[in-house]
Amino acid sequence: MPATPLLELRGIDKSFGPVQVLRDVAFAAHAGEVTALVGDNGAGKSTLVKCISGIHPTDAGEFVFDGRPATIHSPRDAAALGIEVVYQDLALCDNLDIVQNMFLGREKLNGIVLDEPTMEQMAAETLAGLSVRTVKSLRQHVSSLSGGQRQTVAIAKAVLWNSRLVVLDEPTAALGVAQTAQVLELVRRLADNGLAVVLISHNMNDVFAVSDRIAALYLGQMVAQVKTTDITHAQVVELITAGRSGGLGLTAEPGQGRNGTDGQPAGKTAGGDR
Amino acid sequence: MPPGPSQDEIRRQNLGALLRHVHVHGATSRAELTTALGLNRSTIGALTADLAGAGLVSEGAPKETGRAGRPSPVVRPESNRIHAYAYSIEVDRLRAARVGLGGVVLDRRELDRPRGLLVAEAAPLLAGAVKEMQQHVPADAVCVGTGVAVCGMVRRDDGLVRLAPTTGWVDEPIGAALSAELGIDAPITVGNVADVAAFAEHARGVAAGCDNVVYLYGDVGVGAGIIAGGRRVTGHGGYSGEVGHMKLVRDGERCECGSRGCWETQIGENGLLRNAGRPGAQGREALLAVFDAADRGDARAGAAVRQAGDWLGFGVANLVNIFNPEMVIFGGTMRDLYLAAAAQIRSRLNANALTACLEHVRLRTPKLGDDAALVGAAELAFERLLADPLDIG
Repeated sequence: MPATPLLELRGIDKSFGPVQVLRDVAFAAHAGEVTALVGDNGAGKSTLVKCISGIHPTDAGEFVFDGRPATIHSPRDAAALGIEVVYQDLALCDNLDIVQNMFLGREKLNGIVLDEPTMEQMAAETLAGLSVRTVKSLRQHVSSLSGGQRQTVAIAKAVLWNSRLVVLDEPTAALGVAQTAQVLELVRRLADNGLAVVLISHNMNDVFAVSDRIAALYLGQMVAQVKTTDITHAQVVELITAGRSGGLGLTAEPGQGRNGTDGQPAGKTAGGDR
Repeated sequence: MPPGPSQDEIRRQNLGALLRHVHVHGATSRAELTTALGLNRSTIGALTADLAGAGLVSEGAPKETGRAGRPSPVVRPESNRIHAYAYSIEVDRLRAARVGLGGVVLDRRELDRPRGLLVAEAAPLLAGAVKEMQQHVPADAVCVGTGVAVCGMVRRDDGLVRLAPTTGWVDEPIGAALSAELGIDAPITVGNVADVAAFAEHARGVAAGCDNVVYLYGDVGVGAGIIAGGRRVTGHGGYSGEVGHMKLVRDGERCECGSRGCWETQIGENGLLRNAGRPGAQGREALLAVFDAADRGDARAGAAVRQAGDWLGFGVANLVNIFNPEMVIFGGTMRDLYLAAAAQIRSRLNANALTACLEHVRLRTPKLGDDAALVGAAELAFERLLADPLDIG
């Protein structure tokens, strides 16, 4: 694992009018790893992702991508760096087939006509590279696919462009057990193929099944970013709901009679749930 | 001083190394082979010609590299021509496949196995499946051997299934029964399913490049295929890896092996179905129904899955402390349990394993999926060919 993160954010602030949504957020995503981004509704997960993908400008803070300072003003800037986002609604067109969807808006041309053979081959190679065996024909309409297959196509679309960082927003929400399992294996494979993956999820099983690091947001603050080997389920739930857990998370507020810590990850703690 | 290896031995070894490389990595250019094997270009050319002459590989048009210089021809395994038969004997099903050089499943048959089916009854069924497949084999194809994966303890010397508690087999010579049924003299290699699945994932799956691996395979019981320092851990007689019979509870639930408190009484099919309040049910479908019910909010099923996950993490922590693997693979029913209860498994593992053993361990599901048993059984059969490529037939 490379020691320097592929994407590093420092001191990100973001307000919508009088409401401060992100305050002094630090976040890192490493190549070859899945970083799970967890937090309660309204904690700022989606806003943070929209800052990463260039939809929202940030008020303050710095971006470092691949060791170099970067500025992201628009989704185009993010795409140029190799950042792709798969949103919950997937943004697929039901009336187009898999290949057309994967290249939508970025079609390959041969002269003035579409280069269908090349696009089909690239789509096939991408799906094969992800060991996807559930899709039978690349020319079937997306409307005929199951929820898990749609998610697979949306993810394959995101990795087609030599992307280096893929953000997945709740990819297993609304899927059954078998399809969730397939999507989780796909998420893991993306990282094992060398990409940096950011996984937003409310499902603790999904988080623990595939992540290497867990980043917890609480009311707009990044309260902990720790390795998945150093934390338990109960601690993550405490971080999400209370912003602190044992030595992890927010410093205890003065006057509460608790010894505050410096807010740094305390490494392997003695399993606070038992 | 012993004499050095003869020209012939060196050549045989190099042929084996080259064939193994294309068998594991697929089509490879001669230039890449030169680098990978550390042999010079003319040697690679001569070895390739020998293997092509024997019909084991073919040379094809070079890949477009887009770089300057003369493109190098690509060496491919003759997957359609050179093949092995692979069998997988599981608790609820029998599978047979024709697997080509390079680990490609070319054809397959699957049969239900009623629980309690004996070897004498299973062998004709499997032989029938193979005879059916043989009718579709191209005329010039060559079969190089047969491998069998069994969910039971297999004696290394002769492939005798000593004990398979979940299938009810005791001292069953499955290899000999299959040879007799198929009318072939060539030895049939038999291995434990977890061992061969680990072998396959190590060769061409998720654990490629990992030298220390624990592959946990769940059918009804649970076994492990263990690779330590790049070698398969087989034990003295070939029976090692029976981790499902680790005693974790003193005087606990009765196990099918006759003892009590075995790990698989908590994480295996019977334990999970018992805890979910479905003691009469059996089989993979019944197990998947529990995971599905848990996902839909059935409290009892959910509690059973979480409990099994906790026990799975408990045992994996012990294995991680003992073997210090870089990867633990969850296969068979353990895959479904891992993905359904990862929060419990991870939490228990993190709390129980030693930090030094834990910090680099990766938890993964198999890349080859359910095919690992068949591909691994075929690997057993290919071993002889890879040891001496020109001695086929």
